Amino acid sequence: MGKWKIYTPDGVQDILFEYAYIKKELECKFRNLFRKCGYDEIETPIVEFYDVFSAEKDLIPQENMFKFFDENGRILVLRPDMTIPAARVAATKNKGKAFPLKFSYIGNTFAYNESGGGRQKEYTQAGAEIFGVSSPEADAEIIATAIKAVLETGIKEFQIDIGQVEFFKGLMEETGLSDEKSEQIRRLIDKKDFVGVEQLVNSHSIREDLKSLIFSLPKLFGSVDVIEKVERININKKSYDALENLRAILSILDDYGYSKYVSVDLGMVQSLNYYTGIIFKGFTYGVGFPILSGGRYDRLSENYGMSCAATGFSLGVNMIMMALERQKLYKSVPKVETLVCYEADARKKAFEYADKLREEGKLVEISLFTDDVNKAAEYANGKGIKQVLLIKQDDIQDVSVQ
Amino acid sequence: MRYLTIALSKGRLAEMAMELFEGADIDCSGLKEKTRKLIITDEKNKIKFFLAKPADVPTYVEYGAADIGIVGKDTIQEEGRDLYEVLNLGFAACRMCVAGPMELEGKMDQMTITRVATKYPRIARDYFQHKRRESIEIIKLNGSIELAPLVGLSEVIVDLVETGKTLKENNLVVLDTIADISARMIVNRVSMKMESERINKIIEVVRKNLENN
Repeated sequence: MGKWKIYTPDGVQDILFEYAYIKKELECKFRNLFRKCGYDEIETPIVEFYDVFSAEKDLIPQENMFKFFDENGRILVLRPDMTIPAARVAATKNKGKAFPLKFSYIGNTFAYNESGGGRQKEYTQAGAEIFGVSSPEADAEIIATAIKAVLETGIKEFQIDIGQVEFFKGLMEETGLSDEKSEQIRRLIDKKDFVGVEQLVNSHSIREDLKSLIFSLPKLFGSVDVIEKVERININKKSYDALENLRAILSILDDYGYSKYVSVDLGMVQSLNYYTGIIFKGFTYGVGFPILSGGRYDRLSENYGMSCAATGFSLGVNMIMMALERQKLYKSVPKVETLVCYEADARKKAFEYADKLREEGKLVEISLFTDDVNKAAEYANGKGIKQVLLIKQDDIQDVSVQ
Repeated sequence: MRYLTIALSKGRLAEMAMELFEGADIDCSGLKEKTRKLIITDEKNKIKFFLAKPADVPTYVEYGAADIGIVGKDTIQEEGRDLYEVLNLGFAACRMCVAGPMELEGKMDQMTITRVATKYPRIARDYFQHKRRESIEIIKLNGSIELAPLVGLSEVIVDLVETGKTLKENNLVVLDTIADISARMIVNRVSMKMESERINKIIEVVRKNLENN
C-alpha cells in the first residue's frame, strides 16, 4: 500500500536538525532587522486564489504554479511569490493607515522550478516592501535594508547589481521597433548573447548611435561611470530620467556607506513583469544563483484596487544557507551540555535542578533512562554531552565518563 | 585567488577548445593525457578544467559548478538553461533543420505535421509551437534520426545538418532551417558578476585569438 509513503515529493525537502536551527536563526535575524528598521510584519495565506497571481498578463506564468480547486470549483494556488500578496494586502487592508506602509514577511513560496543547485519547488523568502513612496529614498532604503540583511548573515563578500527597466524601455521606444522585436532584443541582452543582439539589430534601420548603444548593453555594468558614459548619448526623456533616478539612488546609498557593495548593470533587463523602475539582484560566491532580488513596481497594486507606488526586495533564505555552507560560514549549533539523571526518590529535586541550570543559560536534558545511569552515560557519550549529573536525595554526583 | 572552473564538452569540441585556450596561453594540456584524473589544473592562471558530456555542460554552468563552459549552440538551446552566452567560437558550425522526404519540399505550409522525430525535443517543440503554431507529437530518438521518415515513424525530423550528405543519400531534403549552430562560450550569471575582471580577460584573449586565426 502506498509506495510513496516514505518519500517527500520532488523539489521539497525535510530541513533537519542543525540546518533547521541555522535557518530559524537566520529568519530570526531578518525579523529583528526588519522590525528595527520599522517594518510591520505580515503573514499571508499559503493558499490564495489563482486570480491574485494572474491579475495581469504574464504576472506569474501559469505553468509555474501549483494549482487545485476549492469546494466551489474556484482555482487555488500555492503562493509562488510574496510581493504580490503584499501588494494585495496594501491595496485592500489599509483602511485609514498613513503612508508609507512598510511590510516585512518571512514565508514559504512554491513554484515549479527544476530542482537542484539550491533551487527547490518550496523555498523560503524573507523580504520587505514599502508602499506609497515613489522617491529614490525609498528604493535606496530597500537596497540598504537588503545589504544590512546580507551582512547580518555573516556573508561579507557580495555584490548588489542595480539596473533600471525604464532605461531599456525608453531606448526601445526611441528605436521604433515593435514590441515583439523589443522583447527579442531584451531576451538576447538578458543572456548577454552579443552575437544575437548584433544580428537582430543590424537587420533593422535604427539610429547609428542607438545601435552601438544596444550592442554595448550587455557590457554596460560597473561603477557610476557607466551612467556617465551612457548619459552623453541623447536617447529620450524616459531613458534620461531612468539614469537620473539610478544616479540619485546610488548617491543615497553612498551616504549609507554601502557604495562598495553596489554596482550598476544597465544590461539587467530580466522580465519579472511587474517591475517599473530600478531592479536589483544580489550575488555572492558559492551559489550559482542570486541570493536576493527586488525592485520598484508602481503598477502592481492597481490590480487590487489601489494605485500606489511600491518598492521591495526578498532574500532567498535557502540560497543564503547554501552560500553560508559553501563559504564555510556556518556557526556551530549550541549543544546540550548537561544530562541530568536522578534516583527515583529525587525526581522532584532533579527537575528543579535542571530548571535552575537552564535559567543560568545552560542547555540541559533530563535523562529518560530513569533507572540506569550507565545507559544514560553511554547515551551522553554518543551525543557528545560533556557532563552527566546524578541527582540523589541528599547529593549531586558528577558521573561523567571522560 | 579563487580557481575559475571551465567545463568542456567531450569530443571534437573539447579538442578545438583546448587549442583555443592554449593559443590564449592557458594551459589545459593535462586533458590530452590519458589519465583517469577528472579535473586538471592550470596553477599559473588558477584555472581548473574538466570534461563533461555536452548536454551536461550547461547544467554545470547554470548551477555554478563551472564558471565557464564550451558547448554547442544546439545543446544550449535544447537545455534551455539560464546563463550568459558570451562568445561565438565559430567552430563546429552546422544548422538545426527540419528535414523530410523530397516530395514535401516547398509544401511545408500546406500540410499538417503531426509527428516529428528528433534528438532535440525542446528545440523541435519550440519551433513548431512558436514559429509554426502547430501542436505536434515529438518522438524522441537517440541516433540515426534520418531513419524515422523512411520507415514511417514520423513525417519529418528535426536534426543537425552539417553537409547534408546523409540526407541526400536517403532522399531527404531540408525543409526549413531553425537556427545556425556553432560552439559557444557560456558563463554562469553569478560568476560573470563576482569574477567579471578575470572572466572578461579570458573572453577577450580568446576573442583576439579567434580573430587572428
